[in-house]
Amino acid sequence: MNDKKQIKRDIEKALANENLRGALGRFGDDYVGSRERAYTGKNFEELRNQIASIKGGAAERMEELAQRFTVSAQARGAKVFHAGTAREAKEYIKNLAAEKGATKIVKSKSMATEEIHLNEFLSRQGLDSVETDLGEWILQLCGQKPSHMVMPAIHMTRNEVADIFSRKTARELTADIPQLVGVAREQLRKKFLAADIGISGANIAVAETGSLVIVTNEGNARLTTTLPPVHVAVVGLEKLVDKFTDVKPILEALPRSATGQKITSYITMITGPTPAVYPDGNAREKELHIILLDNGRTEMQCDPVFKEALQCIRCASCLNVCPVFQLLGGHVYGHIYTGGIGTILTAFFNGFQNAGEIQNLCLGCERCKNFCPGMINIPKLIRELRSRVVEKNSLPGSQKFVLEKVLPNRKLFHSLLKTARVAQKPFVSGAKVRHLPMFLAGLTEGRSLPPLAEEALRDRMKKLRGPVKAGNKVGFFAGCLTDFVYPQMGEAAHKVLKSMNVEMVFPAEQSCCGVPAVLMGSRQAAARIARQNITSFDGAGVDHILTCCPSCAHALKSQYVELLEQDPAWRDRAKEFAAKVLHFTDFVIQRSDGGKKLALKKDSGKVTYHDSCHMKGCLGLSSQPRQLIKEAGLELVEMNGSDKCCGFGGSYSVKFPEVSAQILDKKLESIEKTGADIVALDCPGCMLQISGGLDSRDNKMPVKHTVEILAEKL
Amino acid sequence: MVDNELGQLFEKFKEQAEAISARVYRVSDPPAAGRQLNNIIKELNVKKMTAATSNMVSRCIKEIGSSGVTVYTRDLRRHAEDAELGLSEVDLAIAETGTLAQDSTGLDQRLVSSLPLIHVALVRTDRLVNTFGDAVDHFYERDPLPGYIAFISGPSRTADIERVLTIGVHGPEQLHIIFIDQAGGEPGE
Repeated sequence: MNDKKQIKRDIEKALANENLRGALGRFGDDYVGSRERAYTGKNFEELRNQIASIKGGAAERMEELAQRFTVSAQARGAKVFHAGTAREAKEYIKNLAAEKGATKIVKSKSMATEEIHLNEFLSRQGLDSVETDLGEWILQLCGQKPSHMVMPAIHMTRNEVADIFSRKTARELTADIPQLVGVAREQLRKKFLAADIGISGANIAVAETGSLVIVTNEGNARLTTTLPPVHVAVVGLEKLVDKFTDVKPILEALPRSATGQKITSYITMITGPTPAVYPDGNAREKELHIILLDNGRTEMQCDPVFKEALQCIRCASCLNVCPVFQLLGGHVYGHIYTGGIGTILTAFFNGFQNAGEIQNLCLGCERCKNFCPGMINIPKLIRELRSRVVEKNSLPGSQKFVLEKVLPNRKLFHSLLKTARVAQKPFVSGAKVRHLPMFLAGLTEGRSLPPLAEEALRDRMKKLRGPVKAGNKVGFFAGCLTDFVYPQMGEAAHKVLKSMNVEMVFPAEQSCCGVPAVLMGSRQAAARIARQNITSFDGAGVDHILTCCPSCAHALKSQYVELLEQDPAWRDRAKEFAAKVLHFTDFVIQRSDGGKKLALKKDSGKVTYHDSCHMKGCLGLSSQPRQLIKEAGLELVEMNGSDKCCGFGGSYSVKFPEVSAQILDKKLESIEKTGADIVALDCPGCMLQISGGLDSRDNKMPVKHTVEILAEKL
Repeated sequence: MVDNELGQLFEKFKEQAEAISARVYRVSDPPAAGRQLNNIIKELNVKKMTAATSNMVSRCIKEIGSSGVTVYTRDLRRHAEDAELGLSEVDLAIAETGTLAQDSTGLDQRLVSSLPLIHVALVRTDRLVNTFGDAVDHFYERDPLPGYIAFISGPSRTADIERVLTIGVHGPEQLHIIFIDQAGGEPGE
């Protein structure tokens, strides 16, 4: 289903859907602020540490907790059924309905029932099963799937809803939202009052007490669990926690992270059956059936890497901050669970083949990682997914050649690039490449490319002289873009360091940082490159290794350790190496008293600063470059969403040029709105993307790396 | 708890609850709560109401007198369907989030607070707690753990259509909270 062509078609469809981008874009813009306000006075890091420990611990003992939950819930009078598969869960409900002679079912929102496609199944059995969450009901009426875990119908407009409700009620309804909500209340109230069975999910299940916790805003779950004499709860095994008090941090974080609310309108905690009125008019204990659903969760738990995904509390904040999700919505993911975490859950709940293509949608910006209240390293899990897919299917020959032969071999890489440089000559206009032939055309979609430098940094380095009597020596890691496209950044770094009396050495054996190999899913090639780079700095005798590229810095600092973790001969070397790596800007801030010692010439001018994803999100650097810019006397004008991705993502812009170009467009609009004279940033990849985008708009605003600004002001 | 501390918790509660569209009152005793309830009934022109009984609820209802409203306290499954207002006493009020917490194991408690469009909740001022966690601890100490614990924060709401916040979906559209300083007797009697 999720083959490449299908995804491309879905992307085109999503990009053409103005509603979707309007609603999602507005939400994405508001979300970060309202979430932050909701967390005022709370320590998010502390909360998520608690949640990770509670959920991580529970995942380790999933089977044991399931047994304890069963005993506790049964002691309170509930019936508990363990469903290994989706089918077992559905059969159980079918048989229960038959046994009770039930035909009318109301459902409150549950991702687990969406996951097993319960509605379709029940309606095939001739049962009338109605979704009562407003968004879910809208989707049920028009036969669509949820596009977001928390706001299922976010992709639809009020006009579409008015049409759907008009058809349903055979009335002429206008697109007035309160009126539409009123119609839903009136229609669904009848269903609640007449239902034989209520089906819900649960956000948490407590082993100690056999309790279910349900979080809602509309009040439909309260009616679903109050009116019908039979209540069925479908609960994924990952919802289990050990103790009753474990619910506290989860319920503190869930509404804040999901919708920016301090608390939802309703939180319901159910322990055993409570009274309900039966059709005979008498009130007595209802029947409570709890289905504990496995459906791939045990497999996930047994996986040493992916078990981390069981810490998810389904808040969907990883979707809300994802630049790709914001643009495309959930439907391109092809399944129920969407966005970053959805990609991983889909692999286990719906099969790995389904995740093979959709994992490619991830840009690798790593923004979601910092927002996840379950402390799940989603980008790492997606990289892992990618490697496994590649290990299973193996890469096409041309990619293999690049990864295994070209990337580790700088001479070959450089000579190929030189050949390409000759080939690109006809396409260079001014200082940019505007068009590329054939399969490379995607690279120039919506942005121009800079031509390759006449002379690479590695060659220019030979001519540069360091300080006469250096006080200190550092190593420089260039990375592909600084080496071959922007060697002037390396020269600027050299100049700034020289002014600080620091010698900069450039081990020639260094290669690409390996990120492309990781992104292509070839762990082996990436590990080989990592070893090569570590070795290249062996004899350099430096305490620090600096780079102007935050993505390279992140790879050298974190991914190498991850890649070589299982290799006893390299594990410690990777850690030692990682400890030395610093982004250039960070080093300067630390060694120059926040830039003061550089004694920069003060200049005037307005600068707007773009926070690169890996600079801010992975290295935690955002105030440092701003401080240096101010130190150069420049006025800082903040753009809207300075930390939003520019859409580059390395090879991503080649794989999904149309997605990348749209994300870039938003960034360029924010930049242009500031009225700044210069765009400053700290990443050569973002520079390639943003300067190319500005150029294709004929905007001559210069884009400068912080190191270049500093070098100019010495 | 000293009065001053309670006063601060009340102010915090009021601010938080009003921010999520609840209406908050504070009165001296159950008869005063009854008069406040009467005002609500008149203002909203309520003709039929249901009440989940407790000692405090009964003392409050006594004050209603001749406002033209019929009060039902039995057979609530049937009456709550078309009653405009539901009245109940809740166990706790959580200042930090403006949330009410109730042992809703009794069916009537759930019916009156979820079916009618208006829910009026009575709560003893001295049952204010600071945080959600405090309320969880409170219920956890009860033996047995209540079968149905309800946390209620404001009226029911949705943002499912174009993310426009709309108040009043399947549950109440209005939530009125009356704090009673000198309630007398035991909570929930």
